[in-house]
Amino acid sequence: MDFDESPEDAAFRGEALAWLAENASRRGPVTANAVADDPAHVARCKKWQATLADAGWAAIAWPAAYGGRGATSRHQSLFNEEQSKFDVSTGVFAVGLGMAGPTLIAHGTEEQKDRFLPPLLRGDEVWCQLFSEPGAGSDLAGLSTRAELDGNDFVVNGQKVWTSGAQHSDWAILLARTDFDQAKHKGLTYFVLDMRSPGIEVRPLRQINGVAHFNEVFLTDVRVPAANVLGEVNGGWGVALTTLANERNFIGGGTSSIGFANIVDRARASGRTNDPLVRQELAEAFTRFEVLRFIGYRIQTAFAQGRVPGAEASILKLLYSRHVERNGNLGVDVEGAAGMLSGADAPDDGLWQQQFLTQWAMRIGGGTDEVQRNVVGERVLGLPAEPRPDKYAPFRELVRN
Amino acid sequence: MDFDFSDEQVAVRDLAAQIFTGHATVDRIKQIEAGNERIDRDLWAALATANLLGIALPEEDGGSGLGLMSLCLVLQEQGRRLAPVPLLPTIALGALPIAEFGTVEQRSTWLPRVISGEAILTAALDEADSIDPAAPRVIASAGGRLSGSKVVVPAGHIADRVLVPASTPDGVTVFVVDPSADGVTIDVVDTTDHQRAAHITFVNAPTEATLGRAGDGAAVVRWILDRGLVGLAAIQLGVADEAIRLAAEYTSGRLQFGKPLSTFQGVSLRAADAYIDASAMNVTLWQAAWRIDEGLDASREVAIAKWWAADGGERVVHATQHLHGGMGADVDYPVHRYFLWGKQIADSLGGASKQLARIGADIADAYR
Ligand SMILES: Cc1cc2nc3c(=O)[nH]c(=O)nc-3n(C[C@H](O)[C@H](O)[C@H](O)COP(=O)(O)OP(=O)(O)OC[C@H]3O[C@@H](n4cnc5c(N)ncnc54)[C@H](O)[C@@H]3O)c2cc1C
Repeated sequence: MDFDESPEDAAFRGEALAWLAENASRRGPVTANAVADDPAHVARCKKWQATLADAGWAAIAWPAAYGGRGATSRHQSLFNEEQSKFDVSTGVFAVGLGMAGPTLIAHGTEEQKDRFLPPLLRGDEVWCQLFSEPGAGSDLAGLSTRAELDGNDFVVNGQKVWTSGAQHSDWAILLARTDFDQAKHKGLTYFVLDMRSPGIEVRPLRQINGVAHFNEVFLTDVRVPAANVLGEVNGGWGVALTTLANERNFIGGGTSSIGFANIVDRARASGRTNDPLVRQELAEAFTRFEVLRFIGYRIQTAFAQGRVPGAEASILKLLYSRHVERNGNLGVDVEGAAGMLSGADAPDDGLWQQQFLTQWAMRIGGGTDEVQRNVVGERVLGLPAEPRPDKYAPFRELVRN
Repeated sequence: MDFDFSDEQVAVRDLAAQIFTGHATVDRIKQIEAGNERIDRDLWAALATANLLGIALPEEDGGSGLGLMSLCLVLQEQGRRLAPVPLLPTIALGALPIAEFGTVEQRSTWLPRVISGEAILTAALDEADSIDPAAPRVIASAGGRLSGSKVVVPAGHIADRVLVPASTPDGVTVFVVDPSADGVTIDVVDTTDHQRAAHITFVNAPTEATLGRAGDGAAVVRWILDRGLVGLAAIQLGVADEAIRLAAEYTSGRLQFGKPLSTFQGVSLRAADAYIDASAMNVTLWQAAWRIDEGLDASREVAIAKWWAADGGERVVHATQHLHGGMGADVDYPVHRYFLWGKQIADSLGGASKQLARIGADIADAYR
């Protein structure tokens, strides 16, 4: 065991920093703009991702054969740490680079990889995740969007919900039911879907933090070529598990633009750094950042050794969501009476209010805290699962919402 | 000991519930949130017509004389429905102090107009750079002219008069200020719960009168603050009760894994914890309000009630938000507003740690 960075890693970090310093400007004080979700933000992300790709910094952990750097996800983390000091974002590629890409690499055919990975990596195409439905959230395998084979196409009908970024997506990863007579986990198929296909209607939902971030997506007789099935027909659940593990790792890896220094800056600006209670909170925040960093590294090590970190990713995501909640509360609390304000009236343009209003969503999106705890209980501790009336019967016969 | 409400109190509560439920529908609240004032004037008029604005004010001023507990019953119903009306600032921070400390003239000028719904009042207690409202940085000259600023004054953007504590050469004094006077600037600000408040800046601004004697202001401020804190705890109790009811209903109706969510212990235990918090909020609120009505010292009890409202209240709205899953994020579904109000109330007039500090100081004093 060695908690210190190896000379090779330190050199990699230095190389990344030098390149970033030449190609991006340092981040100023963070403001609420950090969570913007508008076309200008999409354009900014695309431009930066192309810059990364040109210089060989896009998808550092992907195999070189698909345009990646062929390094490890630890290197990606090192790069991300340095990148977070600069005023750049790859936020709209969260689903593409964080989930769709790794799933394609693990389960895609060579044709699929050749078609989808390069434009994804260059930032030409934005992806979204069509998993959750009004009737299927934590119980994702309970989804009822239907896909039926018709010639060389599947015809898809159903409704998805909470789809982040669907409004500016080119492609989607889609989970749909191809067999209603099998048990719920067994009749699912995983597709890649062209979001420009006829029959797709995207309706925005306004989120609590004021940002139009996610959507309802209605699918009516949408045709998907059978060639766009990822993995086997009716084998979608296993493919989805790869996506979910990557999602948890991605969320837990902390894409938030808030660093410890931002929290200290806020406390200082509010004149509260001499308050012993605030100091204790800052000290606790510091330890949380450290714990997350090291658990993150441990997961990178697992990836590097070719293991898919299932339960570890759940632990990381759980710790991260608690962390974000505490940070959101802390930022607002140190502001005193001004903490009650929102938008431009609030300090730092409402950044901390945004953090506060978004923090609870971390505990829901990507699988809720309870779902992650169940993973830890069942897969790590080996506790028996709760009795499940729904697990083995044909999906058609289940009681549903 | 008797933990039941009197028939009269039950009648007040039922009347308030009926009016708030009738007016503050989700659609109406959305409509108000899209407007400028963020106040439901129709509902305000209905409360006046039902005689609820004067419920806690003395009978000799035209009120019903039913005490702070009756006001808290009304505020609790307001919290349940998240009704956008300036009840707490007008009554607890404005009218009650005028009834207690005002001259005959001040009482006869303002209280009838409050009771009829014509006047909106408030007190400007918070400052950006002072943590104790009874030790303000806003200063008043010997001639009663104010300089300095107050922040996040509830209903400050629509109030007809504002009570303003200021430091004077003779000590702290509370002044009555006409916000439309020269030298007073009102900056309307948005709060996280979709309501509005005001930052108020005074530049050599005139005052109309003092409330209470010059130099006695610190005691007046503490008196006002205690009514404000208890009032906030009452609103928070309504917020918490209704949020728990919504979560119980939602998780019982929604199926995942082939059964209602509420049958998972992870869900039901969290809901039960929320209910336990609300029970503690309930008893601490009523103890504080009762002691104030009985004329007993309530300093510690007020802080305990507000501490539970802040700490327990926040826990409740986090739980109810969480139990709604993704539904909690959608602004077209009502539960998120309980989350927003819960946080806002928790932080108003001093958050949890401020109350703990007050309780701690009080205990250290008592057991010396
Ligand atoms: C900001 C945000 C972005 C999102 N983006 C996307 C996206 O891009 N694509 C997509 O497909 N989905 C997305 N989602 C949806 C997300 O995956 C679901 O919200 C999540 O899986 C929970 O499902 P649900 O909302 O239906 O809640 P439910 O499953 O109905 O859960 C409600 C409550 O019950 C609890 N619960 C459920 N089951 C159990 C159990 N067995 N034991 C104990 N407690 C339980 C939950 O923890 C939760 O508190 C997003 C959600 C959010 C908040």
